[in-house]
Amino acid sequence: MILAISLVVAVVFGSGAFLVLQRDLFRVVVGLTLISNSAFLFIIAAGLTQGTAGFAQGAVPILPIPDSYMASDPLVQAMALTALVISMSTIALLLSLIYRLYVAHETVDLEDISEAEMRLAEALEREEEPEQEGEPDVGQAEEEIEKRSR
Amino acid sequence: MTGSTLLLLPVGFPWVLAVALALLDGRRPWVGWLAVAGLGASLVSAFLLVHRILREGPVEMVTGGWPAGVGIVLRADVLGATFAVVSVGVILVSLVYEVFVGVRSRTFPTLVLFLAAGLSGLFLTGDIFNFYVFFEVSMTAAYVLTGYREQDYQVRGAFIFAVVNLLGSVIFLIAIAALYHVTGTLEMASVAERVREVNPNSLITIATAIFVAFALKLGLFPFHFWLPVVYVGSHAPVAAILSGALANIGNYGLLRFGGEILSEELALGAMAVLVLGSASIIYGALQAISRRDVSEVLAYSAIGQVGYVLVALGIGGAIGLSAAVIYAVVNSLNKALLFLVAGLRGPLVGAAFAVGAFSLMGVPPAVGFIGKIAVFKAGLTASGVVQVAILVALIFLGSALSFVYALQIYQRAFLSKEPQGGLWRKSSPWTARALVVALAALVLAMGLWPEPLLVLGEGAASTLIEGGSP
Repeated sequence: MILAISLVVAVVFGSGAFLVLQRDLFRVVVGLTLISNSAFLFIIAAGLTQGTAGFAQGAVPILPIPDSYMASDPLVQAMALTALVISMSTIALLLSLIYRLYVAHETVDLEDISEAEMRLAEALEREEEPEQEGEPDVGQAEEEIEKRSR
Repeated sequence: MTGSTLLLLPVGFPWVLAVALALLDGRRPWVGWLAVAGLGASLVSAFLLVHRILREGPVEMVTGGWPAGVGIVLRADVLGATFAVVSVGVILVSLVYEVFVGVRSRTFPTLVLFLAAGLSGLFLTGDIFNFYVFFEVSMTAAYVLTGYREQDYQVRGAFIFAVVNLLGSVIFLIAIAALYHVTGTLEMASVAERVREVNPNSLITIATAIFVAFALKLGLFPFHFWLPVVYVGSHAPVAAILSGALANIGNYGLLRFGGEILSEELALGAMAVLVLGSASIIYGALQAISRRDVSEVLAYSAIGQVGYVLVALGIGGAIGLSAAVIYAVVNSLNKALLFLVAGLRGPLVGAAFAVGAFSLMGVPPAVGFIGKIAVFKAGLTASGVVQVAILVALIFLGSALSFVYALQIYQRAFLSKEPQGGLWRKSSPWTARALVVALAALVLAMGLWPEPLLVLGEGAASTLIEGGSP
């Protein structure tokens, strides 16, 4: 049982970590959801030291509990529930941030977004050029940025 | 007023008001001032709480009238109450600043209040899971605040901040579950007692997970990658809140979990902590020197400054822990002052920045000197002549490097006649400038009269040591 749960936690966490490293922002959020879920599984597993979940024994764990009944720890389940709500709110927030970026750039790919930002920064620099003509390194820096963006 | 009422007030004021203000338009000045009043009441009650704790010892209560051991415990000792006062103070100053400059989003005051409620809650709780919940309340508010003003780079910064810190929270949650699994309790005091009978192997894993989680929040050297993007992009008062108040979660968490609950594991890993702290000091300072933009320099300087707290923590003992507390407090004030000043233009702003810069370097009249001298003293108590020599040299080197970058940005931002990026043309409202001058005066005053800070630092260290010893 311990091995099975640890394997599940590891696989879920690993797939989440893989997705977080992608460039697509939606995949990042899905990956984070998976990673949080692996943590909840881990919490539940932390309380499975004695007995099994109530439904497996055909009884509901409400007082008075029969002597033969081994109840698993209810506290961890309450903890998992709390953490679940917190994670859901954060994921919702992340999705709204992605939507905001999508509205601005019409893409959710991290590279496209940073390219667009680079172009914006260059445009700003060009506008300010007349003021900074005394500094020779501005032009050079601009050329460098252009080279990199190509 | 009884102790338990006093314990609830710093959390209760901002929380209740935050819910009420969520329905109102935060852009109206009176709503902003209402939020300021709520935070002010929270700050006053936190002050009263510190006063009471110093006189009568820690205050404790069990919520909901449950018997002890069943209900969630709220507990205030010197360490928690000190951090609550500093963090709520920094948030209050930043909120007043933003109200003077002009709030541009209807949710800003509410979010700031939620952040303050979460922070003071986590400093005043005696329950590990409750700590996590309050911590998430303040972190979620902070994610939204980072995107305040809704520029593209700010939204992107908020996204990065949320993703990285959510990962940190998950690691911390796993550590809590593991700690609960091995001790069977969530109450900090009982956890600290019971960990002594637990197999050390599993505890080292848990301690490492907790360390990684808080180091991520602090932006310590190998975990710092997210910090510059977030701090550089965010609006000045938000950056002040993030680095002056929210980063205290990391400081407090390391002190509470490392200094008290898992003190033996901290002693085992002291060398790793010292090395990471030193790397952070050197790396942050060198990066800060190589940057041009004021907020970028300050962001990298923040990475360097938390290194001192970590070094003091790694040295440990009464002197080391009190130095860590004092340095954490001093650093929040410095960072709040510098980030707020960095967003302003006009007369007197340069003077306030100079005070902040001197405090950052550790030049005597400013409070930074007290922090540096405390860490220096702690360095002298380290075991082994070689270690003492290395630590003392490190502290000198770090201060010398901070001298370079602080004066560099002062020169670039305030001594050059060339307007930078066209931001200089209009000076900021005089009220905001008066506010940062007042904050600078506080930094100077605390440096001239350091007794309260030293008493709090020593008190916090002795509670940690008492709680951590059998």
